[in-house]
Amino acid sequence: MKILLIEDDSHTAAYVADGLRGQGHEVDHSATGLDGLSLASGGGYHVMVIDRMLPGVDGLTIVKKIRAAGIRAPVLLLTTLGGINDRVEGLEAGADDYLTKPFAFVELLARVNALARRLPLAEEETLLRVGDLELNRLERTVTRAGESIELQPQEFRLLEYLMRNSGQVVTRTMLLQNVWDFHFDPHTTVVETHISRLRAKIDRDFDEELIHTVRGSGYSLGLSR
Amino acid sequence: MVSPGNFLKSTSFRLLAWYAAVFVASVAILLLIVYWITLAELDQQLSESVERETDVLAELYKSRGPESTVRAIQLRIADLRAPRRYYLLQNAAGERLAGNLPPMKPIEGEIVLPVSSLLRDRSLKSGGATADAHPVVAMGRRLENGEFLLVGENRYRAVKAREAILQAFGWGIVITVLLAAGGGAALGVGFLRRIEAINRTTRSIMDGDLSQRVPTRGGEDEMDQLAINLNAMLDRIQGLMDSVKRVSDDIAHDLRTPLSRLRHRLEATRAKLGPGGEREIEQSISELDAILETFSALLRIAQIESGARQAAFSNVSLGRILSAVFEAYAAVAEVQGQKLEIGVERDFSIRGDRELLTQMVANLIENAIRHCPAGARISVSLDQDTGAPTLSVTDTGPGIPAAERDKVFRRFYRLETSRTTPGSGLGLALVKAVADLHGASVELSDSRPGLRVRIRFPADSEIGARKVSTPGEPVTGHAGGEVPDDRAGG
Repeated sequence: MKILLIEDDSHTAAYVADGLRGQGHEVDHSATGLDGLSLASGGGYHVMVIDRMLPGVDGLTIVKKIRAAGIRAPVLLLTTLGGINDRVEGLEAGADDYLTKPFAFVELLARVNALARRLPLAEEETLLRVGDLELNRLERTVTRAGESIELQPQEFRLLEYLMRNSGQVVTRTMLLQNVWDFHFDPHTTVVETHISRLRAKIDRDFDEELIHTVRGSGYSLGLSR
Repeated sequence: MVSPGNFLKSTSFRLLAWYAAVFVASVAILLLIVYWITLAELDQQLSESVERETDVLAELYKSRGPESTVRAIQLRIADLRAPRRYYLLQNAAGERLAGNLPPMKPIEGEIVLPVSSLLRDRSLKSGGATADAHPVVAMGRRLENGEFLLVGENRYRAVKAREAILQAFGWGIVITVLLAAGGGAALGVGFLRRIEAINRTTRSIMDGDLSQRVPTRGGEDEMDQLAINLNAMLDRIQGLMDSVKRVSDDIAHDLRTPLSRLRHRLEATRAKLGPGGEREIEQSISELDAILETFSALLRIAQIESGARQAAFSNVSLGRILSAVFEAYAAVAEVQGQKLEIGVERDFSIRGDRELLTQMVANLIENAIRHCPAGARISVSLDQDTGAPTLSVTDTGPGIPAAERDKVFRRFYRLETSRTTPGSGLGLALVKAVADLHGASVELSDSRPGLRVRIRFPADSEIGARKVSTPGEPVTGHAGGEVPDDRAGG
């Protein structure tokens, strides 16, 4: 995957770029807003990771300009400010996701992967299928090996999100934001509790586990390799 | 704008009304004094004129004798168009020799003849009935040989002058009252507008827009001085706030950046180490994350308190927020052996920040879950309390002693009994900040046993009422799902 990274802090840039390259991705890095803008305008990237605060042209402006130029590649915005308006501003400018610094690399990686997979899913498949697990988004039904499974609305949304990102790691924060719309870190085990309930319904009575805990990162749904 | 009702209630109106009253009263007193002096002067002139005429006729009598005097009197009477003057010359026997008054008992000196005494001799009168209707000021003089001379003049002119003066004074008072009231109102409305401008500015500053300034006229009067001083004070406050904000931003940036690097480094090290060291590093990373989270929470509270967030307000449904958070935590409470319940009497839509209100409710529920033992019941509800949308979280846990209730909203404040439970000590501080941002009050009370937290939104904060569900039907069905909400992202 070809990724553009626009980040002025050399340490963070090295940390992110090395990490992504370690995952086998191709990374172009630019340390200033102006350079970044010209690279981004050239197109050809699968995902762009853009810092919000940049010397010269700031991240928000870059996002607005490339969106105006018709470039659709997903953008992950990095914010340093403990800013609570940043998320809304970033999304309004045309970014697809945001991540507040400091972040763990696994968090960034999970989000980049999720963003990269988002394009085909924009067509919103009605039926999601992983192995013998099927989820019908319209009828709101779930079956495994043909057996119907009753889910609470939140469990349904949780499973839907996991299935849409099947094979990928989704972090606890991603689940909180996308399933519960919580943009803060709860100190209790909201995610863990719901995952364990979902597991009880999806996995307990079947031979193969579909929901996996990825230590230190989050969860992933898929057939074990 | 200044409405008439407001104007009548205002201090400046009362002040001006007093000034107008004092002004009118002093003009009235002045006019009364003028009136009295003028009347006295007119009476004096009348007396003097009568006395002079008496002197002239007495002198004539003395030098030329009675016949000349009689002729002179007859000439004078014939000359009078209106009978303002009255004459009488009578002999010692009391018979009239000349004049237009009936004979009378001789009296020396000044006398006032009532109207009735003049009417006896109608034959002597000539026109001017109105003139005759006034009393006559007269001067009697005994002459030689027992003859008696009387010269009088009626008060017609004095009375007419008094009437004219009274009329003029009446108009004077009316004009004074009009001027005082009109001028006062004009002044007062102008004054009130300037006060209102100051009030408007201070209100919008209280609402979080510190860039507002009181308008000035560029003059040097007290109001401008007040405005200039207020503005200078605001500049100073803004300067201080900016510097506080700069300091916290600097702390956030300068400390967070090295902490981030430290975190990255630890992560990198973890990958290189064997299983033993990995645990150590992992713990270090969790510690670091706790520090970073405290930073974020502090910055967040500071930002909420600055009021800048109000710009992002939209229409939010408190009922939906409550049931979404309830759904997220019901299972968590159950795992802890607690029971989380929800009761939404009816929904309320208010202007607010959905994200922050969600966090506020979550913090309250988490707080209850954390501090309550297994078996406790926690209930969240939304109802109306004396017209105000009120959100309550009630638990059956240990509660908070009355003396401590105010303190728990302080940052990092923790009860002695909860030192051992995890938590940053910032949860309730954030609740308070979010409530303040929405103009809501936070009340802690004893729910016997346990704690009840009530968030009361302003009574006029509701923007449209509707029922969330039919009675008896649970509201937890699909809250937070695909409701057409105004969520900005997620």
